[in-house]
Amino acid sequence: MQKKLKSERFVWLDIMITLITLEIMQFFYYGARAVVLCGICAVVSLITEIICTRLMGRHFTADDLYCISDALIVTLMLPAVIDFKIAGIACVFTVIIKNEFGGRKNMIFSPASVAYVFMLTSWRSQLIMYTEPHVHTGISEKAGNLVSSASHVFNTTGKLNFTDFEILMGNMAGSLSMLLLVVSAVILFFRSDISKGAFVGTITGTLFLACILPMCSNIYDSVKYTFSTNMVLFASVYIISDRRIAPKHNYYAFFYGFFTAVFSYALVAFTQKENMIIIVSLLLTPVALAFRNLEKNIELLEKAEKKGAVTVE
Amino acid sequence: MNKRTSVFDGLIGNNTVLSSLMVISPVIMCGDTLKNAMAIIYAFSAITFISVIAGSFVPRKLPYAVRIIIYTIISSLVFIPVKFAAQQFFPQVINRIGIYFMLLAVNSLIIVQTEAKFYRMKRGKMIFSLIFYIFGFDAVILIVSFLRELIAHGTIYDRVVDIDTLISGFGLPFGGFIFLGLMCGLYRKIRSVSRHENTGGDSNVSDD
Repeated sequence: MQKKLKSERFVWLDIMITLITLEIMQFFYYGARAVVLCGICAVVSLITEIICTRLMGRHFTADDLYCISDALIVTLMLPAVIDFKIAGIACVFTVIIKNEFGGRKNMIFSPASVAYVFMLTSWRSQLIMYTEPHVHTGISEKAGNLVSSASHVFNTTGKLNFTDFEILMGNMAGSLSMLLLVVSAVILFFRSDISKGAFVGTITGTLFLACILPMCSNIYDSVKYTFSTNMVLFASVYIISDRRIAPKHNYYAFFYGFFTAVFSYALVAFTQKENMIIIVSLLLTPVALAFRNLEKNIELLEKAEKKGAVTVE
Repeated sequence: MNKRTSVFDGLIGNNTVLSSLMVISPVIMCGDTLKNAMAIIYAFSAITFISVIAGSFVPRKLPYAVRIIIYTIISSLVFIPVKFAAQQFFPQVINRIGIYFMLLAVNSLIIVQTEAKFYRMKRGKMIFSLIFYIFGFDAVILIVSFLRELIAHGTIYDRVVDIDTLISGFGLPFGGFIFLGLMCGLYRKIRSVSRHENTGGDSNVSDD
């Protein structure tokens, strides 16, 4: 038990390190406002979590710090110029909803994806408009020239005019650095901080459809842009492969990730809506929970069988 | 529990929506504005009150299944004039409420609580108890729709209120579901605290 607890805290620490790295990159592109947004989300989430745990009659422990990593994931999905109040409300909402359904030990969906979908239903216009990279907006300033994200441009036109270097560095509106995301994914994957099956399933599903149903004339471009837009890689690492949600066994987790990727790709291809993977991951969370339930039943049956065999002997 | 408390049970102690989670679909789906809420309150109160009173005259000798079918037929018959009247009073709202208006004719108070609770009481007490159960539902939908309209649309009974940040998600069904969930949690907490205090804090209070 002690070992499990320790390992869970190391997982959180690893995730936090990779998220902070991505946040530093955001600071480089969008200035101090991105960091302030991150700080506000983290503090608001933490305070709400403390209040909620107290109201539920529990003590706040280090395990409850997952609310901060969730807040950071939410921040990285938002434009840096979004109203701080909106981000704060979304964080409060997410933590309350998480605790309303039983808290961290009874997660029925990814808190970050809930926050994103909640914001999408309430403040869609603010959520999908970004400033260009390197345009630094002051903390109290209102952004002037807002543009659609690279994902929107790719979904509607089927092409993007960015060099491979720009894609790797995340020098596109509404995108994160592919290089950092790949490094983060590799670190988290080999340290078993994310569900390996779900991650491989998501990547395989996206790759498969990007090849057989390319979004642009060239398969190479289709694969490249599919992974670098619509938060596909980001969601594969931090939302779909979240160990709190994904099935424990890699075999089931693979199919969960695969179906999420396939549905989201199909939805992007047919509706041209951006970041569908986050919405689909939320909609398919019951599938992951069903898999988890199945795993639990199988384990119980195996235990009962073993017990029966010992009694017979 | 004394007799006086049991008559008022439906309003607070054993609220139809917050305690038993009955008739929650109209609250979630249609309880996003006060206008909708008024229409639902009118329909629910009229259909439930008349149907339960009329149903109490159904002979107890009939088999259970037959009695339930008769209650449903009665409430469906009551629904017809209520719907006509609603179209006069709330012409635009009725179309928006749609299927949930019709579902009120087969709500849990008529189908379940009649046999489980109301028809086991004396008629006079039953009428008082029923009134408070209906008030309990009305109060919840009023509070929920007032808050949801204010937060989601920035209005109170269609009159604009000066709020700079609106959360339109609360106007959607998922917002209603979450909002009601929070209200249920708060209600149960308050109820368990008050029961704990009433029992002197040393008895085991179950939270149904």
